[in-house]
Amino acid sequence: MIRPERPPTRPEAPARYAARAARRLAEVVCPPQVRDGARTEAVLDELGLMLAALPAAARHALTMALVLLDQGARLYPPGRGRRFARLGDAEAEAYVRALLNRRGAAAELVLRLVSVITMCYYQLPEVQREIGYDPAPYIAAVTRRRLERYAAGAP
Amino acid sequence: MIAGLTAGADIAGDLSLECGVVVVGSGAGGATVAAELAGNGVDVVMIEEGGYHPTDSFTPDTGRALRTLYRDGGGGMAVGRPSVLYTEGRCVGGSTVVNGGMSWRTPAPVLERWARQERLAQFGEAELEPFFAEVEAALSVGPQDPETVGRDSQLFRAGARARGWDVVANRRNQLHCAGTNSCSTGCPTGAKRSMLLTSVPRALAAGARLFAGCRVDRILRHGGAASGVTGHVVRPGGRRGPRLTVRARVVVVAGGAIQTPALLMRSGLRSASGQLGRNLSLHPNAVVTAFFDTDVTGWQGVHQAFQVREFTGQGLLLTATNLTPPMLAGMLPAWGAELGALMADYNRIITAGPLVCDTGTGRVRNIPGLGPQVFYQLTDSDAGRAVRGVELTAEALFAAGARRVLLPFGGAPQVHSTGELRRLLAHPVPKRSIQLYSVHLMGTARMSEDPRRGVTGSFGAFHGVPGLFVTDASSLPGPPGVNPMETVIALALRDARHLLGQRGRWGL
Repeated sequence: MIRPERPPTRPEAPARYAARAARRLAEVVCPPQVRDGARTEAVLDELGLMLAALPAAARHALTMALVLLDQGARLYPPGRGRRFARLGDAEAEAYVRALLNRRGAAAELVLRLVSVITMCYYQLPEVQREIGYDPAPYIAAVTRRRLERYAAGAP
Repeated sequence: MIAGLTAGADIAGDLSLECGVVVVGSGAGGATVAAELAGNGVDVVMIEEGGYHPTDSFTPDTGRALRTLYRDGGGGMAVGRPSVLYTEGRCVGGSTVVNGGMSWRTPAPVLERWARQERLAQFGEAELEPFFAEVEAALSVGPQDPETVGRDSQLFRAGARARGWDVVANRRNQLHCAGTNSCSTGCPTGAKRSMLLTSVPRALAAGARLFAGCRVDRILRHGGAASGVTGHVVRPGGRRGPRLTVRARVVVVAGGAIQTPALLMRSGLRSASGQLGRNLSLHPNAVVTAFFDTDVTGWQGVHQAFQVREFTGQGLLLTATNLTPPMLAGMLPAWGAELGALMADYNRIITAGPLVCDTGTGRVRNIPGLGPQVFYQLTDSDAGRAVRGVELTAEALFAAGARRVLLPFGGAPQVHSTGELRRLLAHPVPKRSIQLYSVHLMGTARMSEDPRRGVTGSFGAFHGVPGLFVTDASSLPGPPGVNPMETVIALALRDARHLLGQRGRWGL
């Protein structure tokens, strides 16, 4: 008997040092409301699920990118030798902006990280509702309409 | 219970099978071949790396869809300047489960060019017409029911028509699509006639066996001819499970334009043409984000109801495609509070853009430890056309009433009028700053009757390896300039019929 495959439900927790950088990055690149309630945790859970879906090499590359992002801040003069996770809000934001303004592979990797984390934020149902996206009732209504109109021909 | 379907999770130990034809992949090409062969009495085994996800499991949850229906969470990247992000389906039914369902025949001039350049046999428009007609009937290809067309599509069409451009209603493989705008996360009503709901069940009903969640590692050979495949069950996290070996008289590879050449290459196969893995086309597309004063609610209505065909002579198609919040947020050139401000207008946004019929090519290579990696060089000419397509798209959106648009060029300011747009684009746009995406990957095992030019022949046979066939988008000799699904399915059907005509040769 066939069972539908279940999606990964256990987040792939990044290593502790990468997780700290991921948390800080989420606080910086997501809209400020990410700090409301437990949203940062929810974003990190989503990120963990996304990492679990990646092949090992990509997972390791992203984890390594987080580590480099974290440690690279020590070389960022305004950071005064601190890791990214320990920078203040303004310094952390300026650091990310400086990285993204560069060219090359490092900037591209940071851009991908930012993109994945913002995707994870807008994946949260309460965030989607706040921007007016709530597709379930709409889908239910048009599905009903379809069946009423075309029941004979619908699969 | 679905007879003939076995999930990898249910395979406890090593498995060894025999059959007439083993088909690698269950998407547009693989499922079509499998259904046709099985329906004519051939003993078929299908191997699909992705899982089986039935219609009732589909939800609008983007993250879940990316994790379950797409390869690598939808995060493929063709490295170049600029890099191009791409997605591939990986599930039973392949990319047909997550594509928009656009169903167009290969344009006649493209068929003529392919036939001439590659000396392809029986490749004229008239000879292919019956295959296209049969596919369209089987997949219920046609225009949308009007009540399903959303406001984003209507506005984009109005803008294009105000410019005097030719706009056509999209043809899609759907049976009274409800317009849920869920194409990319799996159609929750089953209206989209993907391979999951058409050729896969047809193949199974005819006696084919399908093993989902199993990855093929190598093609086996005996005496120079293909003799089967070997692979493994994929466990959670990508871990290797029990071994799977399938002995077959014919091997059909249909894993798509990235995985097919990668499998062939790691099996030690080479093409005398040197073209295996090369000639990757990907119809690069870009996204223009337009903001309106009133709600558009683009997620209420069908995905891509229309196409602007005015510029096909320049290799450009324009269309409006709604993106879910996570997908849009991942694309917007903003973060932090700025991203929040842009996304707060989500319901007033239309996303639209050009698809470029590219002249540049890329390459698939197997990198030890990393697997298949994709490289692509956007030509100056294609970059120029992408910029032109963005400009035209933005013009249509302004004509439709947009108040401002974001262009897919890194660092570009918001634009508030066509005048501002023209002034901005009067300056060259750096190629590396163009943000490009692709869902159409093609050409890496191109067909040509000349073994010095191509990897496969007119009917999918791999040059130099008896019993090995390729029937997917990798065999296309170039970009068709329209959505390629129907081309792939029609050619796969044709390949299957040709193979059936040679049953005696292959002992099927």
